[in-house]
Amino acid sequence: MTYKMYILIVGAGKVGYFLAKRLSAGGNTVGIIDKDKAVCEEVARQLEALVINGDGCDPRILEEGGVARSDVIAAVTGDDEDNLIICQLAKERFKVTRTVGRVNNPDNEHTFSELGVDVPIDATKIIAKIIEEEVSFSDFVNLMSFKRGKLAIVRVDLPDDSPAIEKEVKDVRLPPDSVLVSIVRGEEVIVPKGDTVLKSGDDIIAITAVGNEPQLLNLLVGKL
Amino acid sequence: MYVIIVGCGRVGAELGKLLSQEGHNVVIIDKNPAAFDRLGGAFNGLTLAGNGFDLNLLKQAGIENADAFCAVTNGDNTNLISAQVAKKIFKVSKVIARIYDPQRAHIYSALGLDIISGTVLFAAMIRDKIIESRFSSYLIESKDTGVIEIEVKNNLVGKKVGEMNIAGEFIAVAIRRMEGVLLPDADTILKEKDILMAAVKVASLKKIKERFDL
Repeated sequence: MTYKMYILIVGAGKVGYFLAKRLSAGGNTVGIIDKDKAVCEEVARQLEALVINGDGCDPRILEEGGVARSDVIAAVTGDDEDNLIICQLAKERFKVTRTVGRVNNPDNEHTFSELGVDVPIDATKIIAKIIEEEVSFSDFVNLMSFKRGKLAIVRVDLPDDSPAIEKEVKDVRLPPDSVLVSIVRGEEVIVPKGDTVLKSGDDIIAITAVGNEPQLLNLLVGKL
Repeated sequence: MYVIIVGCGRVGAELGKLLSQEGHNVVIIDKNPAAFDRLGGAFNGLTLAGNGFDLNLLKQAGIENADAFCAVTNGDNTNLISAQVAKKIFKVSKVIARIYDPQRAHIYSALGLDIISGTVLFAAMIRDKIIESRFSSYLIESKDTGVIEIEVKNNLVGKKVGEMNIAGEFIAVAIRRMEGVLLPDADTILKEKDILMAAVKVASLKKIKERFDL
């Protein structure tokens, strides 16, 4: 059985409500705090959750919401100041180990990290990035970054003129800290081995250290 | 000194004028440019319109060279964040934040921020004036302990300071007399017309007043 958590969500707008719905559908217990009384009433009607009407920046309201026993707190209001203070109070005053804060203004992301929010989520940046990738015709797509942006999973479509075509994987000199994870060839998914031969049109999924992306691209696509 | 003030409300504007009149370099930041009207014509510092924790704006304000940073907007959260940005990201040596909510003031003081809570301060000051005109707790920034001034009259003349002290409740800290202010020890003898200043627990005020017949 997987471990079920208690998650306290502050802000019951679209993001908070949807998050609460997903988490409770997954069997977790959820508490929700929102300033707006009407919003709280609506959420209470729709979800099986503890709903508190009040300001999440007020330590007493957080306490009412069960902050002390929560595994995670997610501050997802539309106000960056509030989200930051909520995460700090949860962490410093109530010893919550994991704080997730929604960043509304991308300029504030750095401040969130510096002031101790464990996971700053910058929705604007994420959406902008996805759209940017969808509209670009590049053969190279960054699927996701993790370890605070130090590692990335990327997808590369091998073009006809790729210098890696018809080579065996062991002969492709990958940049440091890079590894080919899988090759999607038509309907087939291949886990690459040393003697796997790369073909034109292969979709390659690779993990790479973020600084080495250009080298990897150069190697597989043949241009920068 | 080079001082950055965030918030040009009544407090921020007054502080800005005070410092600038004393010859300090002042930069004052407010979201609303109309707020700078409060500064009047005599203010000769800089004004910048924008958000008090915008890193670029703060750099523009010269925060890397600032000696002091005060966050005095009417928003507690804005003040808390601006102050932390100044302290943790830009390493300004003296950072002060004004906080209305006593609970948040208490939590963030404990976390090492220099907080001034007008709410606590004013409530305590007014309380002081009501219960005893010569008593003030704001000097020690606590609502439980304060400083009382006692005019030495017949019943106290000739007493040793050591006889007056009550451990944990009343400690004489200074005597103001004609020659100047002296810090007494247990053997210092009180003279007529001395003004004795003592730290006292608020809870013990009544007892003290009865004991010394004030």
